[in-house]
Amino acid sequence: MSTKTYKKSENQIAGELSDKMTIYQDCMNTFNELPVNAKRCRILISRLLRLLANGETFPESEATALFFSVSKLFQHQDDSLRQMVYLAIKELSSISDDVLMATSSIMKDIQNGSNLVKPNAIRSLTYVLDESTAFSAERLLKSAVVNKHPAVSSAALCTSYHLLPISETTIKRFSNEAQEAIVDLKQFPHSSMDNSEFYPNSTFISQYHALGLVYQLKKNDKMSLLKLVRQFAEANTLKNQLAKVQLVKLVNDLIHRDPQLFTQFQSLLDNWLTNKYESVQLETAKLITSFSINNSHLVSQELYISAINTLRSLLTVPRVTTRFAALRVLNRISINNPEKIMVCNPELESLINDSNRNISTYAITTLLKTGNAKNISSLVSTITKFIHEVSDDFKIIIIDAVRTLSLNFPQEWKSIVKFLIDVLKNGEGGLKFKNSIIEAIIDIVSFIPQSKELVLDNLCDFIEDCEYNEILVRVLHLLGKEGPFTSKPSLYVRHIYNRVVLENSIIRSAAVISLSKFALTKNDPTLKDSIVSLLRRIANDQDDEVRDRATIALELINASENKHSLVAEQLIQSKYYYDLNSLENKLTNYMSANDDSFKTPFDVSSIRKFTEDEVKAMKLKKKQQQAVGNNVENTKDAVVPGTKQTDNRIDNDTYQGANLQEHQEDLLETKYADELLSIEQFKEFGNLINSSKPIPLTEPEAEFVVHAVKHLFKDHVVFQFNVSNTLTNVVLDKVTVACSSEGDNQLEELFTLPIDRLLPNTEAACYVAYKKDEAFAMEGFINILHFTTRELDPETNEPFENDEGFDDEYEIDPIYLTAGDYVKSSFTGNFENTFAELPSEDVAVYNIKEDLSLQEITDKLILNTSCLPVSNTQFAPNDTNSHTLKLFGKSVFNGSKVALVVKMIKSSKGIALKAQGRGEDATLCADLVNNLM
Amino acid sequence: MGNYFSSMFDRLWGTNKELRILILGLDGAGKTTILYRLQIGEVVTTKPTIGFNVETLTYKNLKLNVWDLGGQTSIRPYWRCYYADTAAVIFVVDSTDKDRMATAAKELHMMLSEEELQDSALLVFANKQDQPGALSASEVSKELNLVDLKDRSWSIVASSAIKGEGITEGLDWLIDVIKEEQL
Ligand SMILES: Nc1nc2c(ncn2[C@@H]2O[C@H](COP(=O)(O)OP(=O)(O)OP(=O)(O)O)[C@@H](O)[C@H]2O)c(=O)[nH]1
Ligand SMILES: [Mg+2]
Repeated sequence: MSTKTYKKSENQIAGELSDKMTIYQDCMNTFNELPVNAKRCRILISRLLRLLANGETFPESEATALFFSVSKLFQHQDDSLRQMVYLAIKELSSISDDVLMATSSIMKDIQNGSNLVKPNAIRSLTYVLDESTAFSAERLLKSAVVNKHPAVSSAALCTSYHLLPISETTIKRFSNEAQEAIVDLKQFPHSSMDNSEFYPNSTFISQYHALGLVYQLKKNDKMSLLKLVRQFAEANTLKNQLAKVQLVKLVNDLIHRDPQLFTQFQSLLDNWLTNKYESVQLETAKLITSFSINNSHLVSQELYISAINTLRSLLTVPRVTTRFAALRVLNRISINNPEKIMVCNPELESLINDSNRNISTYAITTLLKTGNAKNISSLVSTITKFIHEVSDDFKIIIIDAVRTLSLNFPQEWKSIVKFLIDVLKNGEGGLKFKNSIIEAIIDIVSFIPQSKELVLDNLCDFIEDCEYNEILVRVLHLLGKEGPFTSKPSLYVRHIYNRVVLENSIIRSAAVISLSKFALTKNDPTLKDSIVSLLRRIANDQDDEVRDRATIALELINASENKHSLVAEQLIQSKYYYDLNSLENKLTNYMSANDDSFKTPFDVSSIRKFTEDEVKAMKLKKKQQQAVGNNVENTKDAVVPGTKQTDNRIDNDTYQGANLQEHQEDLLETKYADELLSIEQFKEFGNLINSSKPIPLTEPEAEFVVHAVKHLFKDHVVFQFNVSNTLTNVVLDKVTVACSSEGDNQLEELFTLPIDRLLPNTEAACYVAYKKDEAFAMEGFINILHFTTRELDPETNEPFENDEGFDDEYEIDPIYLTAGDYVKSSFTGNFENTFAELPSEDVAVYNIKEDLSLQEITDKLILNTSCLPVSNTQFAPNDTNSHTLKLFGKSVFNGSKVALVVKMIKSSKGIALKAQGRGEDATLCADLVNNLM
Repeated sequence: MGNYFSSMFDRLWGTNKELRILILGLDGAGKTTILYRLQIGEVVTTKPTIGFNVETLTYKNLKLNVWDLGGQTSIRPYWRCYYADTAAVIFVVDSTDKDRMATAAKELHMMLSEEELQDSALLVFANKQDQPGALSASEVSKELNLVDLKDRSWSIVASSAIKGEGITEGLDWLIDVIKEEQL
């Protein structure tokens, strides 16, 4: 070992890879030698490929030199060398632009090469052809597709598949040949000797490739896809396993385009569930269960049960990948229908001991979801043992699952908190892991108020010995936020002050803020003086930041002596949270406008504020939607071979963080509000009180796509219609929406603001403003889009001078202002108590004739009332015929509470609903209860 | 056995060495046609060469490694990647393409100025002589300024790849020069 010397290559992996430059030099010398030494070249190319496969790259000049040296090996006719040359060309094509130079040689091999090199030559075409040259390979490719040799045919099919996006017109002409290749059972030509059962003479993989290509060619033609499925589903022509799986995916694609088709596939799917290939069984079970998430009424009970049974049996097969895949599907089901897979619990429990950690972790997270009040504590003790044995990534997955569990079974909080505190204090693990625990704990404290004191006490213990600044700071913040409202605030003050004495300046600063929050606590007025004297002491700290914070805190506490000043309350114990998106936006504008060198102070009053309960409600709602959203996404499984899976989080199913789309929705909301408020005519309406989510009023593929947003002011309502013009050569002038009331005229139209000109492929908004007399005015409107179309001159991008245009109109969906628009979601830790305490009550009964599932009704109610579903009632079990939904919200005007309990019973005649509502505001409560549907 | 002897014989006479020959010229001049005329003695149907063709052939006991590079504008910049160790260059000119004689001349001289080609012999084929209106070899020679070439063995031969005329004469001359100068 000691003799090992330093080599010039820096990133050598334990001496495994030889020096990059050595290989480069060897290649350059050997490839250019005459005569070519085929064997040596082959070995060198394999070394080169290994380098590239390990992620090494060459600068472009060297890659180019390599490419030309490799290309010179075409002079040698050795087939094995030629194969290596093709591999090298494919790899180098990504770093050097000169692959073009191999074109003629490749074409020649495709035409005259041996069957050994032909497939390689064909496959390399993908890398050298472009839109302008693809047609030149048409004839060659086409005849290769129908070649009798399976390897040649497969190569041609795959290449066509990859060329499709590059040159659609050329590949489109292969349709018949590709179709033929599905049926053709190609076999390797061989001598009689190797015709043994151990060496099958074909895997028939070309069937798979052919099916993949045919699908791509016909994917927009539903009828021919249907024909394709019929042709191959029954007859036993598909021998290849992957091709069969592909067929299942094809069915999946079809039923997602047209759910009604499902019925005609039921028996076929049932059949596939017992197919001899595990992968076919698996894919079919996956299809049935994921389709059923949104279309449960179309899936027969028996079929669903068979699918679950298939998955269950796959949990015990020897093949690891199958077990894993089956588990994954079950895990997805567990997210919103845990009760459906409870039959698998025995198998799942035995998988906890599976030697594969991926499987055992998945089994546990699934069990955590199928768990019920009865077995939670035993489960938690199982994972307590398990969690210490796995890596951080798995630990985080498990913690996230526990976090969801705690929200679903708030009554079980004690054992869960015990578990979390235990792993927090005793578990080995990095910052990310510990942070995920803290996050789970913060969730529990904010959504399960009863847990507060126990958690805080334990956290006080924990911070006595915590190695991560980030976590300490979060805990200190939590103590400061929640501590003042507990029964013994002084306990926390002691622990926090200890940090000031013992820790570094970052933590000291956080502790100062946290301490100051105790000064105003009502639970222990004596604390104020102690806090003041502690802060005075801290005001001599050696660190600037700590000193500054202490001084400001003292100042604010002093100000609170003055009973009329709210500054202290607002800043020390803020009850509001600003809408961060809008704050950021306005601040950026403020900074960039800067006309008077910041003489005018920044005005925060126009920024939306939320109360704590509203913030909690928004968070919870997002979590609920995410659970469902995940599934919707997963059902859109790709039908194409080789499509990339884009999401690569290992904890995808449990990941709770914000996603991009959500963030964009938030931003959009802020944007709409800002745009609205910047319009002169709306200024006198005062503050914007609430805005709805955009509601689609047209089909998404219509020529003019319209979305509406309802904005509420104190005495006014504004409808915003976002119109987008999807046409390419027509502009729309004077775009307005005419809204005519369906009935009782509670709103009085004031004015409309048209879109002057809507260019092709753009979106803009027109507005209709109303005055409303009733606080909770409700009304429906029939809407007609009016506009003048004018043809666009492609030269100038302006309408033709002499084109008068002609007026046109277009009916779009109606829009309703309902009771739900006056409500926003809010959170309550104890629904039953809150409900009981609310003064006025209303009851209404509904009978619904439409064929809807309980889940669909539930979703609709949540949407219509804008309330937050609490106690995990947003999921309607679909194995029983009744469900109770609990909803909670507040008036958008004054924050008065409303709570609803909706009982629903499904029978053969439809669904009966009984809604019982209670609220602080009798009108709002009655309006809500009477306008559920 | 026979092979064994012949290779012994080659070695003794120093002729087992492969000779690298490049065929260059503007697109459509007839390079690929000439290459296969040499290799299989027939006229093949060609497509514009995107890249190169390389064939090994034996001519008068010599092993020739002949590279026919595409002549399209987009490919000409790559010629230089194949100059190393070249014994001779065959430059093919379409004698009917009067409009592009200047271009051909420019490409030829640019190529010959390259360091790596200082020792290679040059054979020019004034090709497509079977066509009416084709310039004669001496006219082509003038257009290409061949007399300006110093320190280089060169020759120009009138040829028709289609009819198979002039090709062997040209090659015979080339082989003789190479044997004399380089072996
Ligand atoms: N009449 C006539 N036609 C010829 C002769 N030699 C080649 N051609 C034709 O000229 C055309 C181009 O010939 P190629 O050999 O492909 O030309 P090339 O120089 O290889 O062209 P690139 O590969 O594009 O550089 C073909 O149609 C040949 O049949 C000739 O001596 N007489
Ligand atoms: Mg050619």
